[in-house]
This record gives sequence, C-alpha cells and structure tokens, in this order.
Amino acid sequence: MTPETSLGQFDVQTALTRAGIGSDLTLTLTLAMAVAGAAIFVIVMGLAWWAWRHEVTPRAWWVWSGGVVFPVATLAVLLIGSTITLAAIGRVDRVAVVIEVTGHQYWWDVIYDPDDRALRDANEVVLPQGVPVTFRLKSDDVIHSWWIPSIAGKMDMIPGRVNEITVTATRTGRFRGQCAEFCGLSHPLMAFEVVVVPPQDFAAFLDALKGEARDADTLQLERGRDVFVTAGCPACHVIRGMVRGGRLGPDLTRVGGRASLGAGMWKMNVGNLAGWIADVQDMKPGAQMPSFNTLSGPDLRALAHYLDSLK
Amino acid sequence: MANQTTQRSWFALGLGAGVVAVFCLTAVVVAWALASPRHDPVGGWLSGIGRGWSAVAGWYGGDPVAADPNWQAMALQVQGGAAARGQIVFATYGCGACHVIPGVSGARGTVGPSLAGFANRAYVGGVLGNMPGNLTRWLINPPLFSPDTAMPDLGVGQADAADMAAYLYTLGRDG
Repeated sequence: MTPETSLGQFDVQTALTRAGIGSDLTLTLTLAMAVAGAAIFVIVMGLAWWAWRHEVTPRAWWVWSGGVVFPVATLAVLLIGSTITLAAIGRVDRVAVVIEVTGHQYWWDVIYDPDDRALRDANEVVLPQGVPVTFRLKSDDVIHSWWIPSIAGKMDMIPGRVNEITVTATRTGRFRGQCAEFCGLSHPLMAFEVVVVPPQDFAAFLDALKGEARDADTLQLERGRDVFVTAGCPACHVIRGMVRGGRLGPDLTRVGGRASLGAGMWKMNVGNLAGWIADVQDMKPGAQMPSFNTLSGPDLRALAHYLDSLK
Repeated sequence: MANQTTQRSWFALGLGAGVVAVFCLTAVVVAWALASPRHDPVGGWLSGIGRGWSAVAGWYGGDPVAADPNWQAMALQVQGGAAARGQIVFATYGCGACHVIPGVSGARGTVGPSLAGFANRAYVGGVLGNMPGNLTRWLINPPLFSPDTAMPDLGVGQADAADMAAYLYTLGRDG
C-alpha cells in the first residue's frame, strides 16, 4: 500500500517521464548526455590506467586528438542536440487551444479560451491529450514560473508581460505542477494540478464549466451559502449563479470538484476546508486570505459543507 | 625496481577499481531512487536491523514471570480497529488541517486541540468520556454530541472511525 500523503491526488512530481512532447525531448537529451558522459569517464579512466602501467613516450597527435579534436567534436554534437531540443520546446503554436493563466501570491487564475468564451477556473488545469495547448502566462504581483515537469519545460510569469509556451500532453492522467520561481513566503506551497483527458472529455469539461454553481439543497447547505455572503467572502471570491464577487481570490464555482485545496496542496474534503477557512494563515503563511476564526462552530461547519458541495 | 612497478600498478588498479565502484554504486542508488521515489532504500534496511536487535534483546532480557495484565491498555482496545491503518486514514479526511497528530505527516493544525497523549485524556471533545465506543461515535458525527462544535461531520464510516480511534489510543503521555 502506498502511504497517503497530505498532497492532492496526483502522482509524484517528476521530470523523468514522457507524458508530454517537451518532457520527452528533454529526457532523451538528458539520458544521451548521461550515457555519453559515463562512457567518456570510463574511457578516460581506462587510458589513465594504461598510461600508468606502460612506459609511454609523449606523442603530439595524442595531445591534439584527445585534448582538442575530441572535446570540440563532443561539445559540437551537444550544442547541436540541445539547440534543436530548445527550438522544438520553445516553438509557440498559433492555432493551438489557448489557456490563460495568471499567477498570484499564492494561487493560479485560469481562463480557458480567453478570446472567446472566457471560462474561468482556478488552481487546476484540464488538458486535451495529444492536442497542442498554448499557455498565455501573466502575473498579477511578482515573478512566478509555470512548470509541469512531467509534460513540458517551465516558463516565467512576469508582471506587465505576456509569455507564451505551447505544450502537448501525450498521456492521460493527473500530474503535479509547481511554481518554479521564488515568489514569497508560501512559494513552496504554490502548486497546481494538471488533468490530461481525451479531447472529447475536454470539450465536455468546457461545456460543464460554462454553467453556474450547484444550488444549496439542504438546510445545512443553505446556511453555508448564507454564511458565505454574511462573512464577506464575496469581497474576494466569485460563485457564479450565486453571488457576484471580487477577483482577488480563486473562483469557487466548482471548488469542491477540484481534487485539491490551497493551490494543489491539500486533499479537497470537508475537514481540510474547515481547517483552511478557520486558520488559513497557519496552513499557508502570507496568503492574502485572512483566517476566519470569527465564525461560530456551526457556521464554519455549514460553510465547509457548502463549499465541498460545489462540484 | 620490478617490485616497485608491480606495487605501483596494483595501486593504480585499486584506484581505478575504486573510482569505477563509486560510480557504479552511485548509479545503482540513483536508479533505485528513480524506480520508486516513495521507497526509502536505506530506512527499511536499518529498521529491519533494529527489529532484529530488539527481538534478541527481548529474548535475553525478558521477565520469565508473566506480569499482571495491563488493564488500562485493555480498556482502550477498539473493537475491529487497526492502528496501523488508522494512521494512514487521517490524511483522507484532512484531520491534520486542525489537529497536531504525532506520527501523521503534515498534521500540524492549530484550529483544534493537539491529539498528542490522547490515551491519557479524560474527555472526547469535552463532552463524552474517553473510551473506545464514545471516541468512534464522536469521530463519525461530532455535532451530534456537541451542537456548537467547529468540528464537522466528515463522512467517516464505522470501519475508518475504529481504525483512527485505535491509532489515537497508541498516543500516550510518554509518546
């Protein structure tokens, strides 16, 4: 049995896998370099041993070939290989699906199809398998970096700039992404999740995302919905179809449907939601959201259940 | 002179072999770590030695006369509860967001009370006497016993509650 961790549902975060075209190319380059490096190491050690055992008269052609020609040839091959890889990874595809992601301290605002339907979500990105997707990357405060190690290389999010990177996920599954540029106190707690699904499921996901939030249908959920408004949550959060709110925090229209809470850090469930609302500054120091330990016990419970019901 | 050359070549052979051995060992450890990042290649081996040692020490140092039953420990036996499984189950329900739970990774919350030394506590949630049946019922539905509590009903089933209770009773004052 693999131990449950406090992380979301994803697998281990690793770049040593081929779940996307970018990670495939970089892994191939890495392996080629490791194998060639090991071979050169063994050959050099062998030659050193041989030179020690035998009486060797220095010869100029040895110095020229081993000291000049060989290193230049090796480095030239490496330069060509890495340049080709870099060009292939860095190419931005103009006809790809566009997803706009804006980095905030310490969460991600996600907009699918920003030029047309502008469907909003947060902290989770769904990608169609085998289809090139161009991420349009922005930042609202400091420099962040968008990195899905198992699928592609990283790209910085710089305030006042729009950076783009085209990635193609080749394998379905859940993958973990991570902010890769130090951005403040809770930078290590700024992760996200990537769910790669077949293209038809991606279309269905976008259609579902268009809709409004699930309504409260029990007394406790209704109480939670009322607490959400009276406690002032809409100052920063939107729940589409229920309340118009600010955009300082993540969109909560389908918050309970995400696998994790707190930007890819904790499993989404009532217990973590209640703990998060009551003491967010303890779970994620420096986050913009204040700890709401002013709520009564029953109000806190009702709010946690309500948010969990939004799927 | 010949002797010195032999010595030098043996030294070189040893040096070369040593370098290659270090290289291979590093490769093996890296491959091992990559093959299963969750598997700790060293910890399991060490704890195996530790277990073997305590078995040997127990054999020679054990008291030949059976001691009195530990009534306190027996009173805290949870029917059908497996402490080892309970330790894992806590993460499923997000208990660590509110409670410090020794032995559960990431359980550092300060919203509710720390659960360290739980076996020695007199009351569960301040309302039920601390005994196995009460603790299991509390874990399944806290607001039923304490309507004003901040601890939500987490959708815990009987089996998971019993496992978590069994684990909590392993947390004595002495650690």
